[in-house]
This record gives sequence, C-alpha cells and structure tokens, in this order.
Amino acid sequence: MNISPSEAEEALQAIQSMMNKTKKAISNSGAYNFLIVWGAVWLVGFLANHFFDAKTIGYTWMVLDILGGAISVILGIRMSRYVRSPSGRASGKRIAWFWLILFLYCFSMICVVSPVDGNQMAMIIILFVMIGWIAMGLLLSVASVWWGLGITALSLIGYYVLPEFFSLWMAFLGGGGMIFLGFYIRKKW
Amino acid sequence: MAKFNETIHQTVRLQIMAALVTLGAEEEVDFTYLRDLLEVTDGNLGAHLRKLEESGYIKINKEFVERKPRTFISASKEGRKIFNEHVAALESILKSK
Repeated sequence: MNISPSEAEEALQAIQSMMNKTKKAISNSGAYNFLIVWGAVWLVGFLANHFFDAKTIGYTWMVLDILGGAISVILGIRMSRYVRSPSGRASGKRIAWFWLILFLYCFSMICVVSPVDGNQMAMIIILFVMIGWIAMGLLLSVASVWWGLGITALSLIGYYVLPEFFSLWMAFLGGGGMIFLGFYIRKKW
Repeated sequence: MAKFNETIHQTVRLQIMAALVTLGAEEEVDFTYLRDLLEVTDGNLGAHLRKLEESGYIKINKEFVERKPRTFISASKEGRKIFNEHVAALESILKSK
C-alpha cells in the first residue's frame, strides 16, 4: 500500500488527536463529578453558615460532609472501573489514605489554633482541602491545579475583603463556581 | 526498522491503537468507555477489535463484574511495538516530502 505524504500527515494528526483526547478523558473524566458534588456541598453548607444558628450549621455540615464523602467514594470506585490496572488500585488506596491523613491534620490544626470565628474555621478547612486538591492535581491532572489555585485565591479575597459576606461569597463563588466549572468541563469533553 | 502496517492504518483501528497505547502498560479500558471515546457504535467497535485481536495487537479480557458481563481491552506488547513502527513509517513518509 502506497500512501502520500499528505495522507501520512493526516494519519499522524489523527493519532496525536486521539492520544490527546484519551489523556484528557482519563484525567478529566472523574474530576468534574467531584467538582459538582463538592460545589453542591459548599453551596448548601455556606448558605447554612449565613442563615442558620451554630447548632444547625454544625449538623448541616456533618450531614453534607458524610454525603459528599460517600458519593466521592462511589464515584472513585466507578471511575476505576473504566480504566483499571493493578498499580491503579494501589494508587487508589494511597489517595484514600492521603485524604484521611489530611483530614486528621486539619482537625489537629483547628484544635491547636482554636479559630476565633466561623470564617477563620472555614478558611482553615478550605486551605487544607485546596492543598489536597492541588496535590491530587499534580499527581493526576495538572490542569486541575489551576482550578485549585483559583478557588484558593477567591476564598482568600472573600475572607480578607468581604468578611461579613464571606459565607455568601463562598456559597455562590466557591460552591457555585465549582458546580459551573464541573458542568462546563463535562460539556466540553 | 519503520514498518507500515495496513491492518492498523484503517481509520478506526488507528484510533483504537492510539487510545490504547496512551494507557499505561498494565492498564486496560472498558469497552463502553472506549466506544464513547471513539464515538463509534458497539458493532463497529466490536468488528475492529476482533480484527486487531486476531492480529495479536490487542488483548480482550471478558469477565463478570457484579454479575454483569464486562469487556476490557488493552494493547499487547506486540501491538505497541507494531504501532510505534507504524508511526515511525508515517513520519519517514512525511519527511520524504
């Protein structure tokens, strides 16, 4: 079979395009689901922070975190079914341990620092979550590092510039932004 | 030496191989995931996979996961080698322009 240089060029472009699409699909296929789930958690949780009393806020976050955590575990298991490998299964376990340890460090930090108000407490948790998010990004999908940095910057701006509206800021820009980004990535792919 | 491969060069099979060699050496991909990635029908993908399997370029692993039949596909060692040679052949044709 003889093919012309232009046909060869087309074939090489098709190969490159499929390789890029595969890399992108694998790295993004699960990330947008996590963004939507945790965006919804933030949206409801931070709205509760603004409108309800301390006791209700505590229960709301507890329920939301358990729900978000459970859905994330289910999503993680589902994702590993599409592309699987022995090393992938080992990485999945390490990632689960990483988040558990990060959660314990965050809890310890809150105990040591004893935040003076809800905003400070929320900001410490956000910073720990974003450290985890960026670490995952560096490991699995570099593109998501930028989302993590963006959300961190938005959170810090809200914390320092609009402290009285911090919860609403985080609900709509943080949570809402994550939901929007999640659906955007889903549609784009 | 760069060898042009007619089996792999067919458009869909070229895309299948490109997707599979992008995965790690130990990784295998679910049939439905590959179908959605390539935007082809079940029948079309199945036919091309059979051809590639017969040539020894891919491995097909059928099993039951939670009582449901699932098919996983991966590039064989031979398939990766042949694909790389095919790409090298295409590049050499392009350079000769």
